[in-house]
Amino acid sequence: MTRDTRAGRTVLPPEQPSIPQRSGGTGAYWLYLLPGFVLLLVVVLIPLVWNAYLTFTRWKGVRAPEFIGLGNWQKLFSDEDFWTSFTNSVWMILAMVVVPTVVGLIVAALLFDVIGRKFGGRVGSFLRATYYLPQILPIAVAGIVIGWIVRPGDDGALNQILGWFGIPAVDWLGQMPSAVIVLMVVMVWVQIGYPVVVFMAALQRVDPELYEAAELDGANWFQRFSAITMSIIRPEIFVVTLTCTIAALKVFGPVYIITRGGPAGATLVPAYYAYQEFFTKRNIGYGATIATVLTIVVVIVSIVFIRVQNSIERKERAGL
Amino acid sequence: MARTTRRTKTLTALAALTATGIALSGCTAGGAEEGGDGQTLKLWHYESEDSAMGKAWAEAIKVFEEETGATVEFEEKSFEQIQKTASQVLDTDAAPDLMEFNKGNATAGFLASTGLISDISDAVDEYGWADKLAPSLQTTAKYSDDGVMGGDTWYGIPNYGEFVGVYYNKDAFAAAGLEIPTTYDEFVDVLDAFVAKGITPLAEAGAEYPLGQLWYQLALLKGDRGFVDDYQLYKNPVDWQGPEITYATETLKEYVDKGYIASDVSSIKAEDAGVSFINGTAPIFVSGSWWYGRFVTEATGFDWTMTAFPGADLSLGSSGNLWVVPENAANKDLAYTFIDITMRPEIQAIIGNNGGLPVAADAADITDPKSSELISTFNGILDQDGLSFYPDWPAPGFYDVIVQELQGLITGAQDAETTAANLGDAYDEGTADFR
Repeated sequence: MTRDTRAGRTVLPPEQPSIPQRSGGTGAYWLYLLPGFVLLLVVVLIPLVWNAYLTFTRWKGVRAPEFIGLGNWQKLFSDEDFWTSFTNSVWMILAMVVVPTVVGLIVAALLFDVIGRKFGGRVGSFLRATYYLPQILPIAVAGIVIGWIVRPGDDGALNQILGWFGIPAVDWLGQMPSAVIVLMVVMVWVQIGYPVVVFMAALQRVDPELYEAAELDGANWFQRFSAITMSIIRPEIFVVTLTCTIAALKVFGPVYIITRGGPAGATLVPAYYAYQEFFTKRNIGYGATIATVLTIVVVIVSIVFIRVQNSIERKERAGL
Repeated sequence: MARTTRRTKTLTALAALTATGIALSGCTAGGAEEGGDGQTLKLWHYESEDSAMGKAWAEAIKVFEEETGATVEFEEKSFEQIQKTASQVLDTDAAPDLMEFNKGNATAGFLASTGLISDISDAVDEYGWADKLAPSLQTTAKYSDDGVMGGDTWYGIPNYGEFVGVYYNKDAFAAAGLEIPTTYDEFVDVLDAFVAKGITPLAEAGAEYPLGQLWYQLALLKGDRGFVDDYQLYKNPVDWQGPEITYATETLKEYVDKGYIASDVSSIKAEDAGVSFINGTAPIFVSGSWWYGRFVTEATGFDWTMTAFPGADLSLGSSGNLWVVPENAANKDLAYTFIDITMRPEIQAIIGNNGGLPVAADAADITDPKSSELISTFNGILDQDGLSFYPDWPAPGFYDVIVQELQGLITGAQDAETTAANLGDAYDEGTADFR
């Protein structure tokens, strides 16, 4: 009802059949929700509030925190490292969201539509699993191997390969912009399997008759991809984009394993910066402030995404 | 109305359950007070099983159990694990009775200042441990109320030592027709000679501690005990554009420019630098005595030696890590007994004969000639009161700052003056609490 009133347009039919109500009302359902609520409270909400409180304190992690008002927040605005870390998040979003989503979309469509048809489902499944492999590799293991590959000097595998072509060795992780580029390439490699798997699952929903009809009308592959595929799997694109954006903003493991924020802070990201303040400098209050800003940014991004998605869906339904 | 009442009831029940949950979790964390049974020593340390200290502590556990009849409940921890979580664990009843902990203001000093570890001065007097420890080794075991080392109160006992010196590949020197240097000028001449032969002489690592230690060692060439006291013990403000730091920062940049250090060293880790010495790729490695045992085992393809940094009166180094007794320890007396066993000559000899630096060993017990050489170099530094600690100790998190700033320096991203200024800002911010 709320949605209908807000939209102020057509009264929509319910999307799902309603769950039969017991005569006793909804009281019994609360019982099932209770464990979840308790966990939410203890694991998420209380730490969240505690973290927010810590942003107004100076605390070394033991004994009582000392209240300092807005000191940490003031420091944040003039802290170059903090701004650098958020600037680097843009690179992470490019590597973990933009490139994997676009490439994943094309790869999924090719696997489903071309490879699947010409070579059979098994080849498609094998390639899909291959793309997904980096997702299941522990990043600590992958990071160590990548470290070997991009080692400086002639020992590194990449430098050895370049040497065959007469290209001099590069200190990949020791200078800019190569350190950020390596990190981005690694993240693309890690991420690519996720959208491929989600999009391929989504493609199962596409009615083959739509493609056949389009083909009969003379549409080429790209036209079919843009008009049919993109339109039908839009919800999955939203989900992938949202979850990957959140992951990119929170990225920690690869930075910790591969660059430790170096060289000279060039690959610092907010989560790693917060970790440094929490655990190495024991500036818990300041670390909490960085973490809180990160949380706020993630929440805002999520709300914007969900609102945009809902708005597009509403428009589509209204247009039906 | 009925609905509202039901909701209220439900929320009340939810709140009650949550409160119960919190209370229960509180009980688990706080626990009931449990006195020590006098029969179990809960021990944490992070020495690997095959290291000199690991072998010595294993023997000490055996002796302890035989002599006291008590059981040692040993939990193997990693350095990082203890470093990052100790302060939280020590405040609970899960605290061990005895724990190995890193020495220095930002670590053991911090725990001392917060009251999480015990003042063990009475046990030191009772067992006479002070008599076995040289004065510069005592510095890191004693802290002030603010947690600054060199204070009056004993908070830990070190029973091994460490220092930074220079490892030389004697075969590479012989092949190049060079002598092991005894002065700093000779050291630089050797570096030039290797560069002239197309060899990068120094194994280095810009992503971890070795480069920062070389930087501080260069500062120590121009500094005296007063500089060390200002830097480490906050006696006076450190002049970050003064002669010591300026010389260190500019000289380090020169080392890269002149090819003494590879230009692509900023992403290299300590392990890689050590391995390049073991492989014979780099003929010189400035690093700590903690490599010594490993080199004995692995650098077997050539003859090598280690000396204190040539021409330096002051060397990086200190006591080893400390045994500390948490304030919440249940069996403090057992902990003191165990510490005393680790100070016995026979346990100390195990450290000495396995590449470690014992602090209270009987020289006659050290049978391994290579170990004797190391111990005599260390004793030479102790005799001239030459231990000057480590550059990252004064402020929490200063290690990461040093790594990042020196990376900026050697990659040419910033000049020596800016590097020193940035280091100074971080140092001043991190040490403000102690001044």
